[in-house]
Amino acid sequence: MATVTALDDRVLEGLAEIVGHQYVLTSKTARINRARVPSMFAVHRWEEHVPQVVVLPASAHEVSEIVKLANRERIPVVPRAGGTGLVDGAVPLNRGILVDIKRMDHVGEVDLAERAITVGPGVNMFKLNEMLRPYGVMYPDNPASYTCALVGGRIGTNGWSLLGARFGHVRNLVISFEIVLPTGEIIRVGEGGGIKTRSSSSGYRLKELFMGTQGTLGIVTEATLELVKRPEAEFSAFWLQRSYDTAWKTGGELMRSGYATIAGVMLFDERKVDFVRRDDEAYVPQPDWCEAVCAFALYGNRAEVRPAAKEMMRIAKASGGEYVGDEIAQLDWSARHDRYATPLHGRTPNGQVAPMSWHCEDAGIPYPKVPEIRKRWHAIVDDLVARHPIFDDWGMFSYTNGPYKPWGDMLCEIDVGIWEEHLDDETWGAWVDCKREIARASIEVGGTISAAHGSSRAGEVDLVPLELGGAYDVMKTIKRALDPNNIMNPGKYGLDSAYEDG
Amino acid sequence: MQGYRRADQTPPPAQRITDLVVMRHEHIYEVDPDLMTEHVEQQHIPAWDMLRMVDSRLEWLYMLQAHFSDERVSGEELLAEIEAEEASHP
Ligand SMILES: Cc1cc2nc3c(=O)[nH]c(=O)nc-3n(C[C@H](O)[C@H](O)[C@H](O)COP(=O)(O)OP(=O)(O)OC[C@H]3O[C@@H](n4cnc5c(N)ncnc54)[C@H](O)[C@@H]3O)c2cc1C
Repeated sequence: MATVTALDDRVLEGLAEIVGHQYVLTSKTARINRARVPSMFAVHRWEEHVPQVVVLPASAHEVSEIVKLANRERIPVVPRAGGTGLVDGAVPLNRGILVDIKRMDHVGEVDLAERAITVGPGVNMFKLNEMLRPYGVMYPDNPASYTCALVGGRIGTNGWSLLGARFGHVRNLVISFEIVLPTGEIIRVGEGGGIKTRSSSSGYRLKELFMGTQGTLGIVTEATLELVKRPEAEFSAFWLQRSYDTAWKTGGELMRSGYATIAGVMLFDERKVDFVRRDDEAYVPQPDWCEAVCAFALYGNRAEVRPAAKEMMRIAKASGGEYVGDEIAQLDWSARHDRYATPLHGRTPNGQVAPMSWHCEDAGIPYPKVPEIRKRWHAIVDDLVARHPIFDDWGMFSYTNGPYKPWGDMLCEIDVGIWEEHLDDETWGAWVDCKREIARASIEVGGTISAAHGSSRAGEVDLVPLELGGAYDVMKTIKRALDPNNIMNPGKYGLDSAYEDG
Repeated sequence: MQGYRRADQTPPPAQRITDLVVMRHEHIYEVDPDLMTEHVEQQHIPAWDMLRMVDSRLEWLYMLQAHFSDERVSGEELLAEIEAEEASHP
């Protein structure tokens, strides 16, 4: 494995020759700020993850030269985009060179004939769509981290979009991309050799191979993105339900209803409803009988959205629930990007407010198993909270998972608050065990450890070989073949083991 | 010109909404101050500042709505239509 204790001046000088002195950052602040991501972090061991140097390249050529230098010197390289990833992908496990791709934020020509745009990996979706608005098109990748995640990180995680049922997820929305391989070669992957071609039967499916790698197989330097017609109409509805079972059944009917403009169907369980009830800024007054919420959203042309929404409202009404009204429904949907990380909503067992940070475990769960996983996950987290009251169960929600096909399985997410200030080796260990149990339960019900974020963190990562079986061995073979010196984000996904048997 | 008057900035008295939440300004819900005594203390926020924060959040939410689509379909309208249809064909 590539490891390094201190970078000598020769290496720093080499980096400066590639990107220019001003883009080689060695100050403590520049490095410490790029050590962690928002997911739960062993803050008491922060120092172990501080990169030795941060570089900000401006082109594929510069990235390639950095990677070649790192290979010569056997120094780990960690790509970092928005730093919002939730599975420690951008955390330097073995320190080394952190490649911050934010300067690569060029935006190419808006091609309205082929409905595509080519951008740098440092571009943010929100800003891109503001720029695209006058053209009547948008790039519809919409994670809850919409305003801060960047295109490079979205590809690095094979990200999942809140509007995925309607427009697809990152793998459906990135038509092709350019990537610098771990040995420095620059290649383009997409549909065959086409930059804007949507489908090809030529060769292996390399686009998917280089997505969701958490930066272990190279650094994306450019991407060509899908442009769709900007929706004329949006519809969102939140229905209060008397029981989780009713919400789940109603959600199932809505998911299978067949309306093509569905962007997502969501379920909130009673713990999530309790969490919302403690919320100070987005508090939605709810009747005592409300134990769950079933919500849905549609996007598209007015002529399609309105009739479909009406039929879906008919289904929801038949469930016996209560519609929250337009104002709350529309604003709550609009708040989908910032309702998660509400630090002062942590509570100690006696109900006192404690400053907790947010963590979520996400999984892809077969629809019939969603009620079962809900019970199992809460039991696992309850046990953790009983032993260590610095944790707090913030409830579960579920969301249609398949691109264009919102049925069959759901992205389920259990949110857990953690009072990081009180973390030590014992509580951190308990947390990692808890994560492992959550992941194991997901596999046991026939699901996948993660539907959106990845599974490269302590706890779940040990179970990836169990989930993938023989496919995990193929992953290791690919990693060793493409990254002979294990310099690209070493330590992730347990892939160091690819180098152990010679 | 009307200057800043400290007395005007004292929020109205809290009205209890649930056993966890109080309300001082209309539709602005706050955690019950009794729950903010041990680890985090509630800050005193002048009325104008609280209203400014809430307004800017609303502005942000409305901006995002306009960002994603031109118009919103009303669920209330759709429900009224469904109910009228149900009433005419019970
Ligand atoms: C509040 C919040 C809500 C979220 N909601 C969602 C959601 O709805 N859907 C979802 O999918 N995710 C969500 N996430 C997780 C996160 O935003 C995504 O994983 C996102 O794709 C990460 O993008 P980033 O730009 O922040 O990447 P980073 O965190 O910087 O990097 C993510 C991974 O990609 C690698 N990487 C970065 N740049 C490159 C590159 N140029 N080439 C190759 N690899 C690279 C990194 O090494 C790392 O492994 C959420 C996170 C937060 C904090």
